[in-house]
Amino acid sequence: MSTEVKEALKQVVAPRSSELDAPLKSKRMLVNLGPSHPAMHGTARAVIELEGENIASCKLDIGFLHRGFEKSCESVTWTQVFPYTDRLNYVSSIMNNVGFALAVEKLCKLEVPERAQYLRTITSEMHRICDHLTLVGALGLELGAMTVFLYAIEGRDLLWDRLTELCGARLTSTYARIGGVARDVPEGWLEKTTLTLDRVVLLRDEIDGLLARNRIFYDRTRGVGTVTRADAIDLGFSGPCLRASGEPYDLRKAAPYLIYDRLDFDIPVGSNGDTYDRYLIRVEEMKQSDKMIRQCFRDMAPGELVVRDFRYVLPPKPEVYGTIEGVMAHFKLIMEGIQVPAGEVYGYTEAANGELGFYLVSDGSGRPYKIGLRAPGWPMLAALPIILQGALLSDLVPVFDSINMIGGEVEQ
Amino acid sequence: MAEEKKPEAPAAAPKPPPGPPAPPPPRNPGMVTATIDGREVVVRPGTTVIEAASAMGIEVPYYCWHKRLSVAANCRMCLVEMSNAPGGKLMPGCQAALAEGVAVKTDTPRVKDQQRATLEFLLLHHPVDCAICDQAGECKLQDYYLQYDAKPSRLDIPKNVKRKRVELGPTVTLDQERCILCTRCVRFMSEVARNPQLGVANRGTRSEITAFPGRPLDDKYAGNVVDICPVGALTSTDFRFSGRVWFMSSARSICTGCSRGCNVSLDFLGESAYRLRPRENQHVNQEWMCDQGRLTYKPYNTDRVLKARLGRGAEGQAAGREAAVTAAAAALAAARGQGGVALLVSPLASLEDLLAACAVASEGLGVKEVYLGGRPDGWHDDFLKQADENPNRRGVELAAQAFGLVVKPFAELVAAAGAGAVKAVWAIGAELPAAAGALASLATLVVQASNGGALAAAATVLLPASPVAESDGTFVNFEGRAQRFEAAWHPRGEARPHADLAAALGRALGLKAPWRSNREVWLALSPRLAGVTSWDFKWDSLPSAGRRRGFVPLAAGTVDGRLPGQRERLAPEGAEPIERGVAPSGW
Repeated sequence: MSTEVKEALKQVVAPRSSELDAPLKSKRMLVNLGPSHPAMHGTARAVIELEGENIASCKLDIGFLHRGFEKSCESVTWTQVFPYTDRLNYVSSIMNNVGFALAVEKLCKLEVPERAQYLRTITSEMHRICDHLTLVGALGLELGAMTVFLYAIEGRDLLWDRLTELCGARLTSTYARIGGVARDVPEGWLEKTTLTLDRVVLLRDEIDGLLARNRIFYDRTRGVGTVTRADAIDLGFSGPCLRASGEPYDLRKAAPYLIYDRLDFDIPVGSNGDTYDRYLIRVEEMKQSDKMIRQCFRDMAPGELVVRDFRYVLPPKPEVYGTIEGVMAHFKLIMEGIQVPAGEVYGYTEAANGELGFYLVSDGSGRPYKIGLRAPGWPMLAALPIILQGALLSDLVPVFDSINMIGGEVEQ
Repeated sequence: MAEEKKPEAPAAAPKPPPGPPAPPPPRNPGMVTATIDGREVVVRPGTTVIEAASAMGIEVPYYCWHKRLSVAANCRMCLVEMSNAPGGKLMPGCQAALAEGVAVKTDTPRVKDQQRATLEFLLLHHPVDCAICDQAGECKLQDYYLQYDAKPSRLDIPKNVKRKRVELGPTVTLDQERCILCTRCVRFMSEVARNPQLGVANRGTRSEITAFPGRPLDDKYAGNVVDICPVGALTSTDFRFSGRVWFMSSARSICTGCSRGCNVSLDFLGESAYRLRPRENQHVNQEWMCDQGRLTYKPYNTDRVLKARLGRGAEGQAAGREAAVTAAAAALAAARGQGGVALLVSPLASLEDLLAACAVASEGLGVKEVYLGGRPDGWHDDFLKQADENPNRRGVELAAQAFGLVVKPFAELVAAAGAGAVKAVWAIGAELPAAAGALASLATLVVQASNGGALAAAATVLLPASPVAESDGTFVNFEGRAQRFEAAWHPRGEARPHADLAAALGRALGLKAPWRSNREVWLALSPRLAGVTSWDFKWDSLPSAGRRRGFVPLAAGTVDGRLPGQRERLAPEGAEPIERGVAPSGW
């Protein structure tokens, strides 16, 4: 065959690739997801530009749940900030209470009594389980596994029932106080909670059994929304999402607060940084939290609940009604607020979604001069457009679920 | 003890016995150099520790010390460590003067322990009264307790019982249980009021402040002891139990009781005034005021004219303000044609009100004279109270002068009205020095009044005016000192400042009169005040109100904690100190 023929044949046999594509010249399509979409928890809105079924770009629009948290806090006393913190991550409010209390106590150089520290740890870890159950349940639900959601919500409500017995509210607990906690556990509560935890363990294992080896769940989450370790660090991830990417960083180990240095627990770390790993981390963290709570139940001793210092904590009522010292302290604390020393501080704790930071500035008066919040969900939410670049539209929902954006804390 | 230089000591003279070592020569001649908490301070000889420390921003707590009273040093709250203290004892900072080279320490554990112990003793017999005490919220016991003590009570026996309601006099009620016996009130009565009506009776734990038997505390300045009482023992009979101080806002105002123009804080809540407290002004009233002045807030609250009225007596009927102003302008303009309009001004109106009224009257009504109304003269003394019980008589003279008007006494107006020379009167303010006489039967009597009274009742057109509490303005006191006051709340009902009403009337008469506020009146018309513009007075320069000690809590009700209609009015940026608002040159 002559070279000329060969050249001619090449042109015939190997047509340009575009000629084999479907002759559908599509335009990019804009899709609005949310703010009122059942999968966009916390009323976030995503403006997605679709190239076929793939996400070409994604813009996030938040602000539909804006409450002016930081500004509101400036017009109330330090004590009155607690109800506002309840509404940050409302699924695990006590962790917000504790984080704020610890930051103020850092500024006041207050050491809270040991029993209060145990109670703060117990309630925080219970709320961590609640938070993770919610995420796992919602993740399953939005991938079609309704059963999982019902189990998760049952477990969460059982825990919330116990916390209601402790602090009087399911969601808005306001349990911590500057200098301690609001009240002690009711009689028989420890035993009841142990039984509840046993029940939650069963539910958790049932959920894990239904999801972890589920072909559909596995295929929809494995390798989806992958964030490498380096990217996770660069994007400012913290908490389970960071650990799922392989970085073993947990403030409970890295900078132990409360009594975490006395507890025996492990930090689960993922290897792939995908949605599946983020799920696995949550399940494993629930196991670790369960372990911690049981250790606390074992080690906790009776004792004071709050610091006995009239400058920070209201005097007992007999002192208020019966002594001038008590009534003066009560009056000043209620009307003027706790006189937190002038200065600034950054207090940080490991909340369910990552590092919850309170940057506080006090001018020495009874109210915060400025409060800045580092919401754990914020960096992960901000990274969502990067994670989703080129992903399928249908993967948006599980990825969005797995970073656990909570409107209440992201929108300050 | 400095050794004197002797040129040549005789060799044979016996050596004097060795005395204490000579103190070092002063490091700053003519001054005393010492240290407080390690920081060096140079002060005039005789300066006490408490004065030097407060100038350095170091707080030394005290109850009995007062800068305008003698030193008693009896509360023991200000004890500090001084390196020259005899026997190493703690020294009262209010009494001990700084000496050369002395080191003072105010925050050592020993001092702190002493402060805590002092407070514990002061509170030992103090009743559990905060919930019902007028002082709560501005009480130094409360402030210092949490700052310096904050420990629970250790008292396990019943507290002392004393008399809870002693009516010392017509204005002051004493609660003896709350008293900490600092004797500020005793010293005030003998040193400032120069009328020693108070004393301490009995000894030890039975000590109590008391007036002499059968001699009530009836001095005309007795109310000041309530202000200087650091606790809730001396209470104002007028203000007692009427409002909680932490809900109140305060406006910088001027007392309208006499031509002294004492600077006052007008404490108000919503649209009601609750009390007047003297505001410090070294040049006018220091920090005192008389009991009569304290009650001048009453007319801001009661017997107010809040709606316009057309017609007098049985024919009178309520009208809208605009309609009434139009009717007034028509009536006055009609009388002008007959050449008989007179302007009657009250020296209780502000300088801005008077300027606006004089401008409208001279340009719109062709008026040539101003008749001077206002309250008749009262008592006077050589301390604060002036006989002239009007705050702005000098202001009337200045405003009249600015428009070439002649000021004439009220009696001439009555005579002119009786003789028929005056057909119509426009009155700015309804205060009269004498009976209204023939005015009451004039065919046209336009009265701008904030309160009811004989003239308001006789008006054919009554316009509702704002009192001092509802308008910004200036009073010129008897010395010629211009002093600003500020509105506390927005005008009640239909009431508006006199200047607003005068401007509206001027516009109805066909004048421009474009002023929308007293500030605009001042900016437009004050250049006409001959000589006044050279005053070192700036309209926008009210002295800084400063923060009340303790706290200004946020009340429930609105988002930012303020009650509806209540506005905190703080000094604008770059506010001038009070000393700048002084009299014309030559005063």
